[in-house]
Amino acid sequence: MDATYIQQSIEQLKTNIFMHVRHRTLIQHTGSPVLDENQLFYLLLPFLNGEKWDEQIFESAITVGIVHASLNEHDKISEKNATSKEQQLTVLSGDYYSGRYYEILAHSGNISLIRQLSEGIVSRCEHQIKQYEASQYTINEWYQVISVIQTELIKRFYQVYEYEQYGSFMHTGLLLLQLQKELQLHQSGTTSNLFAKMQDSVLGEEGSIELIIQKEIDSLKSLLNENIRTSTILKDDLKLYIQHQVALNEKVTRER
Amino acid sequence: MEKMKLTLLYSDLKSDIDIIEKELETALNSSSHLINDASLHLLQAGGKRIRPVFVLMSAKFGQYNIDQIKNIAVPLELIHMASLVHDDVIDDSDLRRGRHTVKAQWNNRVAMYTGDFIFARALEYVTSIDNVKVHQILAKTMVEICNGEVIQIEDKFRNNQNLKDYFRRIKRKTALLIESSCELGAVVGGLDVKNVRRLKRFGYFVGMSYQIVDDILDFTATDKELGKPAGSDLLQGNITLPILLLKDHPTILRFVEKASKGSVSESDRMEMLKVVRNSDAIKKAIALSNQYLRKALKEVDALPNHPMKKKLRDVALFIGKRKF
Repeated sequence: MDATYIQQSIEQLKTNIFMHVRHRTLIQHTGSPVLDENQLFYLLLPFLNGEKWDEQIFESAITVGIVHASLNEHDKISEKNATSKEQQLTVLSGDYYSGRYYEILAHSGNISLIRQLSEGIVSRCEHQIKQYEASQYTINEWYQVISVIQTELIKRFYQVYEYEQYGSFMHTGLLLLQLQKELQLHQSGTTSNLFAKMQDSVLGEEGSIELIIQKEIDSLKSLLNENIRTSTILKDDLKLYIQHQVALNEKVTRER
Repeated sequence: MEKMKLTLLYSDLKSDIDIIEKELETALNSSSHLINDASLHLLQAGGKRIRPVFVLMSAKFGQYNIDQIKNIAVPLELIHMASLVHDDVIDDSDLRRGRHTVKAQWNNRVAMYTGDFIFARALEYVTSIDNVKVHQILAKTMVEICNGEVIQIEDKFRNNQNLKDYFRRIKRKTALLIESSCELGAVVGGLDVKNVRRLKRFGYFVGMSYQIVDDILDFTATDKELGKPAGSDLLQGNITLPILLLKDHPTILRFVEKASKGSVSESDRMEMLKVVRNSDAIKKAIALSNQYLRKALKEVDALPNHPMKKKLRDVALFIGKRKF
């Protein structure tokens, strides 16, 4: 197994997700579903590492991807004005994808995953909405928000199929990659709402927000490297791939 | 007042409706203050709760156990609530039932997350039922409702639509969820296939009549009764039955043209309402609604004898004759 094989597996999963949510009108107006390849990689990690993986588990991974796509659509809705046809249909894309994941799992009778994913969505929404609450949160609480948004659904998938031993790689890896992405966006002049909230939470503290986040990134990187170094379960190719993922993301950040 | 009359109709079910109401509160409870506030805002806005009522009434024909039936009655109402929250973003509606919508009170994103939270809670709740058929019916309904909404957006301001387009749209928009409420109540109540099918058809016919009446009331009721400006549907480009029945009227054509450009004045709205109210389109639309009601009542007649038969009939008639 090499990086090409891993990439091909991610592409195959992506194609399958697209096929299951194909809708002529929605594609025409809102485009294909938005999927994060890093999340797809971690969804496939147990498979890539040679864990028991059958058609039902693959179908389950597809539905987790669909739920991500559904919630990603709703993240595209403008806070103030969603009156354009494209925005209206984007609301419906998210709802349609959400209905499709349920339909697929209902068809195969996978009620335990329906329960886990709905609980995961509940938790994700409760964390995402914190951006609009009046309450003040600490920077660590914002890291927790990002972590839940990025990892909660995959965590639930791991729980159902007893892949919890991959949880710490996934948790550290996805939080690290997202923080790199947030920092990169901010440095290129597009500050996300979440980044602005993190910025507010450290007002008056020593050091700029960039330095504080970079410090967190470095600490997560050390943790991930240590986990990888001491891991007896991960294949070497996957260890390399994870380290390469982080380095690549960092390179993009530096180049900007 | 109207809601009170409806409540009286199903007074036999009052204690169980109260249980549903309590369960709705519990289901909407969240660790997020903002979601709690938004959900409370929705609960306080009330609603007729007709979907849970149809679930309970249908289940009464079988083995009725509120502890089981509530597991499908509550999610159906939650799905309805969540779709309203998202619909208000799509329609850019600031008012619903005379109260600010979630998107108006907070913003579109808060409405999206609140709606997603409620949808998820509905599914979380329904997983206490392990009958796969229940999930398959509900999932198909959710997907079809969405398809109906996509069609509705595609059809906005489209003048060349016909009655078939309209009926296809309202079937998915409204009738399906009422149809599924009756069907699922019957399935969870353990009714035989024949009676499940009868109740399903009953729900479909009542749902069609319900939406037609809703579309009529959008023109005939007052702004105060509606809790939003009369004629809002057409302002948003939704060509409903009364308009389809007089769509060649020059005032209506002009109004649709102006509405599509967002340049409707208050006097345009008044003139349009006057034309619709004074036309025979309302009478014709009522006649069509009554046809569906008659079909619904025929399905009730075929059901086994049970005190709930009269209630089903009364609620159907109420829905078809309601004033707002």
